Amino acid sequence: MDVELSEILDTLCEYAPFADLKDEPILQEMVKDIEIQYLRVGEWAIAPEARNDNLFFIRSGAIETKNKSGKLLRRMHEGDVFGSSSLLRGGRSSHTMRALEDSLLYRIPARWFIQFYSEFDSFSDFFELSKEVRLKTAMDNQSSDLSLMTCPVHSLLRRPPITANHDVDIKTAANIMSNERVSSLLITENDSLVGILTDRDLRNRVVAKGLPLDVRVDMIMTQDPITVDAGDFASEAVLKMMATNIHHLPVVKNERPVGVISTGDLVQRESHGSVYVISDIFKQEDVEGLVQISKKMDHVFTQLVNADANTQMIGNAMSHIGVAFVKRLLQLAEREFGPAPIPYCFLALGSQAREEQTISTDQDNALILHDSYDKNLHGDYFRELSEYVCQNLDRCGYPLCTGDIMAMNPRWRIPLSEWKKTFAEWIEKPKAEALLHVSIFFDLRGIYGDKTLARQLNSHIRQLAKTNKGFLSALARNANQRTPPLGFFRQFVLDGEGKQSRTFNLKSRGIAPIADLVRVHALALGSSKLNTFERLEDIEEAGVMPDGRARDLILALEMIGMVRIKNQMNQIENGDTPNNNVDPETLSEFERRHLRDAFNIVSRQQEFLKYRYPGKG
Amino acid sequence: MTPKNVPENWQEAYARMAQECQSPALRRFYEAGVPGLDKPLAETPLVSLDIETTGLDPSKDDVISIGLVDFNLELIRLSSARYWLAKPHGPLTSESVTIHEITHSEIQDAPRLSSFLDEVLDAIAGKIVVVHCAAIERPFLFEAALEHYGEPLMFPVLDTMGIEASITHKPWWQRFGRQPSLRLDACRQRYNLPRYRAHQALMDAVSCAELFQAQASHHLNKEHPTSYYDC
Repeated sequence: MDVELSEILDTLCEYAPFADLKDEPILQEMVKDIEIQYLRVGEWAIAPEARNDNLFFIRSGAIETKNKSGKLLRRMHEGDVFGSSSLLRGGRSSHTMRALEDSLLYRIPARWFIQFYSEFDSFSDFFELSKEVRLKTAMDNQSSDLSLMTCPVHSLLRRPPITANHDVDIKTAANIMSNERVSSLLITENDSLVGILTDRDLRNRVVAKGLPLDVRVDMIMTQDPITVDAGDFASEAVLKMMATNIHHLPVVKNERPVGVISTGDLVQRESHGSVYVISDIFKQEDVEGLVQISKKMDHVFTQLVNADANTQMIGNAMSHIGVAFVKRLLQLAEREFGPAPIPYCFLALGSQAREEQTISTDQDNALILHDSYDKNLHGDYFRELSEYVCQNLDRCGYPLCTGDIMAMNPRWRIPLSEWKKTFAEWIEKPKAEALLHVSIFFDLRGIYGDKTLARQLNSHIRQLAKTNKGFLSALARNANQRTPPLGFFRQFVLDGEGKQSRTFNLKSRGIAPIADLVRVHALALGSSKLNTFERLEDIEEAGVMPDGRARDLILALEMIGMVRIKNQMNQIENGDTPNNNVDPETLSEFERRHLRDAFNIVSRQQEFLKYRYPGKG
Repeated sequence: MTPKNVPENWQEAYARMAQECQSPALRRFYEAGVPGLDKPLAETPLVSLDIETTGLDPSKDDVISIGLVDFNLELIRLSSARYWLAKPHGPLTSESVTIHEITHSEIQDAPRLSSFLDEVLDAIAGKIVVVHCAAIERPFLFEAALEHYGEPLMFPVLDTMGIEASITHKPWWQRFGRQPSLRLDACRQRYNLPRYRAHQALMDAVSCAELFQAQASHHLNKEHPTSYYDC
């Protein structure tokens, strides 16, 4: 009689790499060979120094991977597989695997892994690709062991949190802070975190306002503060603090506070605090000060990379810093030219809008004016304001846009109603050629001023674009214009060790094509997201692409992005100006092979785009 | 024989039955004994067993499927998994069909329980049987053996439901609201175990083995002899 384990088979087939083997009868044979193991939290799946003879599939729970020196490499959850790298090395395991929660594991004996690995390309691709994403960790291991960012937040905590109940008065709270010598106090209700009180709050909200000291602390605390989870990486804490410009971040576990980390804690670990860059920017009183800070940007960038942040985090941090420069310059401009006579909104376009900036990006920006704009009355003001901002951004390391897509170009400094007309023109009468030059406008984020103007424009764009097939197909055609350098690679691989001086551009032939094709799907969906990773999540959820393909693109983007970032860091270290060109000769065999795989993914998705949004052309 | 009415000393009872039994399969079963009963729980070979039936009354209702899988506190070996369908004597009601996801035609083509009862006995011989709710599995197998061999089948059982009841038990003055559910799925959720589709004998056996591993890991002493927990 047939053994009925279809439930287990079905579960495996929901996840890569088994999903692609769904129809292979041999998978049923494999299921009969699985061993199931329950691990209580803290127990080992692969203990230090132990051999490993299984591929593990996490059915429920969570597992953490550490390297020999105890550094946390990865956390894995339901549906993840692990153990492959030791199987590929004959069972020698260099990492340990331990249960972070009570977990149920399916153990697949090594011989099945070996067989599938050699028989099915999709299966071996899966492990090689995910290996590449972990490449950055491997590279970091070589460069430094001191990396702050791979440690979990709770490892930074030095003492239990100092807390007070939400109904104590200000005086009691201040006494606790003074006795405990802390600059922040966590406020709780039934042991759950409900607020935070800092030294600065006591200054600004109590003393300066002349508030009586018997007022309850929950009247003046910051309610529902931003928090970080005890298990998160410290780098996530850094980015939250940078993004929000706060200096005390409560650490919680199951909503209960377990401590606070302050900028001081992080800076102690790091010689130069990139955490402080944003608040430094806002402290500058003149352009000269901003220019000085901008000279440190190479260093901030290097720090982020060394900190083992992934490309999404780095893109996010660099964009927030870029936005901070723009905001501060606008504040200084309003100080110089007086407050704006009518509402306006300053727009970030392209990579800054998508929060995917790296070091050395041209500025791409524009400006929406309120419809009450009168050229005779307000024209000079906004011309001066935008010239001030753009020219000074150039001085701060954000070169003027060669395509003149900047707020200082009067064509891109127009009232909302005219913006709407312009977009309607682009979308309803699409001309591929013309669209090529303006695709950057479809990633648009309001960063300063009256952001409702940007929101109105964005929702106008979303509504028009979604239903306009001609536009989507023109955009799709454009997205396929820049192709990944596959031929180049093939030749390069053939040429082997031969001398080559040619380089290729990772941005225009890898990252931009991904951003372009993802934008088409996102606009077709009516997604409100701008970030490519976030758009891909929306796309995955909507099921626009075949199963797993959105995930593939995320991996490809991460991989290409990481090679670009490493390359830029090397350029900085060699004293060169960082750019997007990579010399394939400087890549390791490992990077080369996986870069090629990533480009293949991009190429396949470009192909898919053609079929998804067919057009006349 | 009710589940409560079990021998005080299993080793003696097995030895006696091995002497008395006429049918070869039952004699083999009793001769294998229950060596694991006196070993520490961690060293005892276990077999998780689940049966699906047409009803709850062993004297009237029939077994329609049996699933079992060998395991110990560390591993559940799916390679040892066995699954049988049995054709019942009476007609299958439509309710039980929906519960068990087994179709009429599958059942009609299945062999009678009596044709593979020997195999079931061989598969559990020498191991300690683990079930969820001993009050079902034991009496049904007892009846089946009585009918087929004319001789009784009894064995010690580790009951995950009974174990869960003793873990979650609180005296009445500490109880608040409803008692925690002891259904297999509800028990499993307390240990972060995944949800499975219920009522397929083999998956339920696997499911019960996982639950026992989790219970042992959290609440039982692996060094205690297994007899400490049986019923």
